[in-house]
This record gives sequence, C-alpha cells and structure tokens, in this order.
Amino acid sequence: MTQTIAPPAPHRQVTRKVTEPPVRRMRTFTRPLQYLALLGYVVFLGFPLLFLLSTSLKTPQELQSGDLSFLPRQFNWANFGNAVEKANLAHAAGNSLLVATLTTVVVTLISLPAAYALARFRTKLRGVATIWILLSQVFPFILIVIPVFLVLKQVGLVNNPIGLVLVYTVWCLPFALWMLRGYVAAIPVDLEEAGAIDGAGRLRVLRSIVLPLLAPGLVATSMFTFISSWNEFFFALVLIQDPGLQTLPLTLARFFGAEGQVQLGQLAAASLIATIPSLVFFLLIQRRLTSGLMSGAVKG
Amino acid sequence: MTAIAAPRRRSRRRGDGRDAWLLVLPALIPVVLLSVYPLLQGILLGFTDSKAGLNQTVDFTGVENYTKLLGNDLFWSSFRIGLIWAFGVTILQVLASLGLALLLNLNLRLRWLARTLALVPWAMPPVVIAIMWRMMLNPTYGPVNETMRSLGLPGDINWLGDFSTALPAVIVVGVWAGMPQTTVTLLAGLQNVSADLHEAAAIDGAGTWQRFWHVTLPALRPVIFAITSLDLIWNFNSFALVFVLTAGGPGGKTMLPALFAYNEAFKYGNFGYAAAMGNVMVVVIAAFLFLYLRGQARSRES
Amino acid sequence: MKRKALLGIGAAAVLTLSGCALNGGDSSSDSTESSSGPVTLTFQSLAYQDSTVAAVKDIVDTWNKKNPDIKIKLTQGTWDNVHDQLVTQFQGGTAPDIIHDESSDIMGFAQQGYLADISKYLSSDVKNAVSKDVWDTVTTADGKIVATPTLLQTYVVFANTDAFAAANVKVPSGKLTWDELASIAKQLTANGKFGVGWGLKQPTAAVMNTALGFDGTFFDTKDDGTATIHVGDDEVAVPERIHAMAYDDSSLDPVSLTQSGTDVLPGFLSGKYAMYVGGNFLAQQITESAPDGFKWTVLPPLAGSAGAAQAANPQTMSVSKQSKAPAQAAKFIDYFMSPENQAKLAQGDWLIPASKPARDAVAAATKGTPVWGPILKSGEDLAGAPFQKAKNYPQWKDQYATPALQQYFANSISLDDLKKQLSDGWSSIG
Repeated sequence: MTQTIAPPAPHRQVTRKVTEPPVRRMRTFTRPLQYLALLGYVVFLGFPLLFLLSTSLKTPQELQSGDLSFLPRQFNWANFGNAVEKANLAHAAGNSLLVATLTTVVVTLISLPAAYALARFRTKLRGVATIWILLSQVFPFILIVIPVFLVLKQVGLVNNPIGLVLVYTVWCLPFALWMLRGYVAAIPVDLEEAGAIDGAGRLRVLRSIVLPLLAPGLVATSMFTFISSWNEFFFALVLIQDPGLQTLPLTLARFFGAEGQVQLGQLAAASLIATIPSLVFFLLIQRRLTSGLMSGAVKG
Repeated sequence: MTAIAAPRRRSRRRGDGRDAWLLVLPALIPVVLLSVYPLLQGILLGFTDSKAGLNQTVDFTGVENYTKLLGNDLFWSSFRIGLIWAFGVTILQVLASLGLALLLNLNLRLRWLARTLALVPWAMPPVVIAIMWRMMLNPTYGPVNETMRSLGLPGDINWLGDFSTALPAVIVVGVWAGMPQTTVTLLAGLQNVSADLHEAAAIDGAGTWQRFWHVTLPALRPVIFAITSLDLIWNFNSFALVFVLTAGGPGGKTMLPALFAYNEAFKYGNFGYAAAMGNVMVVVIAAFLFLYLRGQARSRES
Repeated sequence: MKRKALLGIGAAAVLTLSGCALNGGDSSSDSTESSSGPVTLTFQSLAYQDSTVAAVKDIVDTWNKKNPDIKIKLTQGTWDNVHDQLVTQFQGGTAPDIIHDESSDIMGFAQQGYLADISKYLSSDVKNAVSKDVWDTVTTADGKIVATPTLLQTYVVFANTDAFAAANVKVPSGKLTWDELASIAKQLTANGKFGVGWGLKQPTAAVMNTALGFDGTFFDTKDDGTATIHVGDDEVAVPERIHAMAYDDSSLDPVSLTQSGTDVLPGFLSGKYAMYVGGNFLAQQITESAPDGFKWTVLPPLAGSAGAAQAANPQTMSVSKQSKAPAQAAKFIDYFMSPENQAKLAQGDWLIPASKPARDAVAAATKGTPVWGPILKSGEDLAGAPFQKAKNYPQWKDQYATPALQQYFANSISLDDLKKQLSDGWSSIG
C-alpha cells in the first residue's frame, strides 16, 4: 500500500529547522550506527586535508625515506617559507585575490538587475536566458578556449588580469543568475506592491524591502562566485603567460619539474595556502549554508 | 522557472519589456562577446581544417572531420570512458551524498564539525585535489597503501598507474570532489520537506524506513532529479581534475573525451579536428539536457 | 520581424568575423631586421632546481649590466606545460622572444614555421664547440639552425656501493653491457631486495633513446618529416631485456616499472634497490635527499651491441620568428652559450653541456666529486635519432607507443604484440 503524499508547494519556505521527529520504538543501536556512518564520511572527506598538513611539515629526507608516520619527525616549517619564496606565492595570491574580488563585484553588479528582470518581468528574455544558462554548462572548454583567446587578443587583453576578470565574469554568470533569480522569485511580489501602495517609489521599494530580503542570497552568490574564480585554472593557464600575473592555482604547477620531479613538502605547503581563503569562507558561513541557503537555488 | 501568478492589481506598465532589456543589457554585452560569439566560432571551427602553424590557411571542409572521427577508435574509446566516468561518478556521488545529507539532517552531536569537514573538498581548487590524491595514492609512500599494508592487504598497488585500477580510482576522487555540492543541495531539499508530513506519517505508525521511502523520497524526487542531471552534464565535461591526476593515462584508460580533444588541439595542433570532437560531445550532452528539461517540465506538472 | 533581421545580421557578422579571427592569430608583423635603439626581450626559462634558477638569473643580470641596449626580461615556465603553452602563444603571437625548450619538442614548432633561422647570428666559437651530430638535432631539413643545444641528459645507472659490498659484487668500471647488468642484478637480488629499480611510467623516451645502443632506429625519416616505421628485434632489444629482468630473473621490481623516476627514488635511498636507472639529473635529488652515510656512484654508460650510444635530446634556446629583434635575441643566446655560462648551468642541474669547452670546464670544477666522471663520459657518444625529426612522432608516442610499452612492462602483452601495436599505430596515424 503506497501512501503517496504530494510534495509541498514550491513557495513555502520552511523556516523551522527540520529534525527527526520523535519516534517511539527507537532501537538502541541505530544511534551508534549513525555516528559510525557519520564518522566514516568525516574520515573520508576530511582525512586528505590532514594528510596534506602532515606532509607540508615534513623534511625532504623524511618524505623520500619511505618511512610513513602521520606526525612528522621534525616539524619543518621551512616548507611554507620556501614554497612562498620559490613560486612567489604571496604575489600570486595577491593576483588571485584581485581577480576573484573584481569578478565577484562585477558579477554581482550585473547579475542583480538582470536576475530581477528575469524573475519579475514577463519577457521572451526569460526563455532565452534559461536556454543560455543551461547551454553554457553544456559546452566543453575546448570549444571556446581558442576563440576566446583570439577575441581577447584582438582587444589586447591577453596576459592581463582585466581580460581574465571578463572571462570569469561570463563564466560565473550563469550560476549567479540562476541562483539570484530563484531568490528574487522567492520574495513575494505582494511585498513590493504593498510598499508601492504605501507611497514609496519603485527604487525605494527595491532598496528598503527587496534588498534586505535578498541579502542572504546575495552573500551566497558572491561567495560561490569568489570561490569559483579563486579556484579556476584553465582559462588562467591559457590566458596568462607572464608569471608575474599568475594566479595561485597556476603557481602550483611550478613545483613539478621535468619527468615527475616534485618537491612534496613545498607542494603540500603551497596547496594548503591555496585552500585557506575558501576554507575560511566556508567555516564562517557553514551553518547558514547548510540550513536552507540553497533553497532558493533548489526551487529555481 | 517559478512563474509568479500573482493577481495583477496594477495595470502592467507598457515599458515592462523595455525595462527588462535595460536591466539585462549590462549582462548581455559581455555574454555575447565572450560566450555566445566564441561558442559559435568554436562550433564553426569544427567544420574547418584549422591547424597550428604560421600563416596557415583555414578552409571549410564540411563533414570531413566527422567522417574521420567515425573511424577514430581512440576517440570512441575515450567517449566510452567519458560515459562510464560520468555515470559512475554521478550515481555514486548522489547515493553517497544522500546518505550524508540524511545523517547531517539528524540531531547528532558535533554536527557542526561534520558539516564543516563535509565541505572541505569544495574549498579546494580541483588542481589541489588532484595533486593531493596523487600523493595519497602513491604506491610507495601514500597513506592509502600504508593503511592497506598495516591491515595485511597487498600494499603496493599503483592505483593510478595500473591499467585496471586507474579508472575506478579516478572515479573515487571524482566522487570525493563533488560530494559537498550534492550534499548541500540534498540537505536543503530535505529541510524543505515539511515536518508536519513526517509527524503525520509517524502518528500513522510508519517506521523510519517507511517514512523515508514514502515521505522523504517522493518529496525529494525533483531535487534528486535536478542535481543528478546537472551532475551528469558537469561530470561529462569534466577536465581539470583528471588532467592533473593522470593526464588521461595510463595508456588512455582515463582519457576523458574533453582531455582527448584538448590533446588534439594543444598537443598536436589540430584545432579544427578538436573542435569537431567538441561538437560531437555537445550533441551527447544536449541529449542529457533534453532529458533534464523534460523531467523538470514533468515534475512541475505533477 | 525586426528581431529576425537582427538575428540575420548577427549571423552574417559572426561568420565574417570568424573568418577574420581564425586567421587573426597571425596578424603580428613578420620579423624585421634589427631595429636600432634599445629593445626589451622576453626570455622564458624552464630551470627548476634552485641552483639552476639562480645561475640563470645571474647570467641574465650580468648581460643586462653589460648591454643596457638589449634588456632581457626573465620569466619562468614549467616543463610540464611548455608545449601546450607555446601552441597557444605562437597561435596568438604572444610567444617569448627567447624560448627555452628541448629539441624533440621545439623541432615540431620549427616545422610549423614559428622559429627564426639563427645560423647567421651565431659566432664560430659557439658553432665549433658542439659536435655536428648534436647540431643536427636542431637543424631543419633545409639546413636552417633554429636552436642552440645547451644541456644534454642521458640515462645512467646509479649504484648503492654498500649493497654491492654486502653482496660481494665488484662495482663495474670502464664498461658495462646490458648482459653484465642483468647478471649483476641477479646477484644483488636477495631477501626482498631487488637488483634494479627503474621508473618507467613514461617509457617511450627511455626506450627510444637507448635503442640506439642496438642500432634500433625505428624510423626512416625523409627531409620533409614523413617517415616509415620498422620495428625489428634491434628496436625492441631494450624492452625485451627489461622485461626479462623483471619477469624471468625477478631482479627488476615490476612495480617500479609503473612508477615515475622520482617515485622510485625513495626505494633506492632506503636500500630496496641496489641499482637505480634514470636520467642523470636525478643525481641532484639524490644528493639532496640521501640519508647520512649513503654511499653511491654512477656506473659506466650501458652498452648494447652497437656501443653505448644514446639519442641526443638537448635542451635548446631558440628565437621566435615573430620576435621584433631576432638579431639581438640571437646575440644573447650566443652569450648564453659561452663555456663559463654553460658550465654554471650544467652543474646546477647535474646535466651535460653540449659544448666541449664547457664539458672540460665542468670536469675541472668537479674534480672533487667523482660521480661527475661517468656522467660526463656518458654524454660523449650522443647523436640524433630519426624519430626526432619524424612528423606525428608526438602523437604516436602518446597514443600508441606509451600504452603499448606500459602494457608490455606490465606483462599483459607479448613481445610480438608490442611490435605489432607499435607499427600498426604508426600506420593508423599516417
């Protein structure tokens, strides 16, 4: 006998945190099993990071000795310093920061009005936008990389962070539009209209009513855009040739020499450094992230 | 798309359509220049014999690239690998993430720690993920083999270098890398399932499993469907991770079609031929996309 | 209606633009003769070891001081990525003026017309310092010199002298044939330790280079780059012997065959392998990472039936054809090729200079380090091989040769299968 219950209406936002409802006959060993399962997941997902940390603190001798222990025999902080120096990591981090920040700002500025328009107005643009958003996910990197390179070359923006920002903007735009549109749509039109009835101009309505409600959505979108730009590798690889302008992921390639030569400790240190900003971000917003921040996008 | 069918209390202003265009314009310009135009050009390239070389002429060759492609065994082998990879990673990812999302939805202690660690792969650039797993899967000094040795299992398998283990190993890394996104989406979907429904079902005497099967899953179905289709598309196009992990080796066992096309363009300089491969890939993905859209339309109707 | 017209115009525009842009990559001017007045040239170096990076910087700084009119801007690239990078840069006209690469890679670009002919700019000193055989590897079929050979690498056998002493085996000196290697390896294999570890994850370069020791040439290459393949017993002599050592004698660790050179190194340093075969540049890593008290040496170059010949694949310095000041760029390369500078670089990287005066300088400077002796000696008998000039070699190498050799070394296919896959692969690319 199937009890089919219709899924809840898409608009309803559940504000109450959903936890497992009380069940009478709870077998006492389900709980430990759940903890065990969770532990398994946590180890699988979190262990590699610890491994990276451990490797970054070992000396070249210990790494090459084939002797494996989790705790380094002597703590070698030099790897971090050497990595930073060898690949000019601080400079590259600065480049990544610049590009990612600019991209996030530009994406937010242009996607906000566009998302609003797509969510509120009935135009043919909606269909076109949806098609473009989906199609842009579909096309392989290989099809656009050379033409993009040639376009940028003609406007002289190859090997230039601004060129990279433009490319990243277009690359991040689909996801940003998709998310923001969902968030805007989740705000009932009635609120805006109520404000209008109260005599506020349209702009004022947007600023004081819509924007605050949109804030969490904006934060989430900006965060994803920032991290995507920070992590991006291949466009940067093709478009940036001057090592002084390289972004952080590119510099990681520096630690590989000919025929697989690699300085493991430094590589691990550099990899950690490249991950820090995103980790910090995630730590800060992890609670909000996993409690419904994505619901806007999900409904979209 | 959520269509807001709010009753029109105010008359629609004539300029609505124009307003929309104005608002969209700043986004439209870079999109056309750096997305639409290069894309069209890229597609066109697939019908030419464009090659690397100083002062090379480019001629339209029609479907010559495609007839050549039909006979290119290596391409089709990479295509097959791409499908195995995409389906393998996506299915495993969704199953694993569903499990994790369910666990994270429970009121367990240290939930905050689990949630943070679950997001770690998302915070890492794909390049870092690939580098790190290469180190972990190293046969001599990687922790994976070390653990196996300490458990008495054979401890010198070259995961990424052995012909039979390379693709499975790479799929595991792919799952690891993609779990956070899928987990977060599923978790959001779970939390949208009304608590009332759960309670109603519990009162009716449904056990945990029955509640899951008859309440949670149906409610979650649109989300699962959405994330699965998107994951499939993203994974089929995936490039950076496997590029750094194995560069398509050993012996082409992990050569995803995107990698194969990349090599054709950037290693051997056959731009036109590579673009033709890209076009073929697009057709396949368009098929997935079509299924996704149809599914979306259906779930909206239900 | 208006929208349709717009779309139509748009489509036409796209088509026209695409025609322009496809050829637009080569809009940069052809190289003009040397312009008077100060120029700034970009030089991308691929130096990796800290000591070599410092040496290159030193050379560039000294040059810049002495030649304020020709300023060299040094940038750093990576070996892993240089080929793909050059493809994009040449296509887009943004390649560096002075390019550091290796001959097997750069000659492909020469065939595509991207390198300048620098024969007339090089001094006779530089031309005479390097043997004709090595010059051949950087000269096009029509006699243009498109690069200068700088540093050479050979495959050498590193030996753990303590392991030899413990097994009572004499360390070979003077000569070492493949058969002798096999017998020594057997003697050194005992108690879970192997005689040889060899990282052949990327087997093709090693096999093609050392095949010359048996006169295995693989290809008959014509001037225009087209080539026919022949895979006989000579060609597969080296893989056959490696396979025999691994699977018949069990003196070569089969797992090491699937790993890269650097990944096998820990095994050598920990005593698991008495001998370790790899590029001579690995000496740098051994020196850096060896535990205290580790005693090692380099054995004489491996000789096959035709001697100890290996293919010469020198690192190269070239000038881009799209450079605005090729004469000045070549002048810097000439300076770069001086014996003192080459000696500095060679010592930093543990590689062998192509220039004889430079080799002598290195020998003099490294009198206190005996392992340099055999390393330098291994670089004396090098010559170009036909495969280096064959068009489509890189594709054959990636798509057919490497997988086939990997499977052979993993013992999944037979020697005859290997021969077949190698030749059939070449025909299917043709």
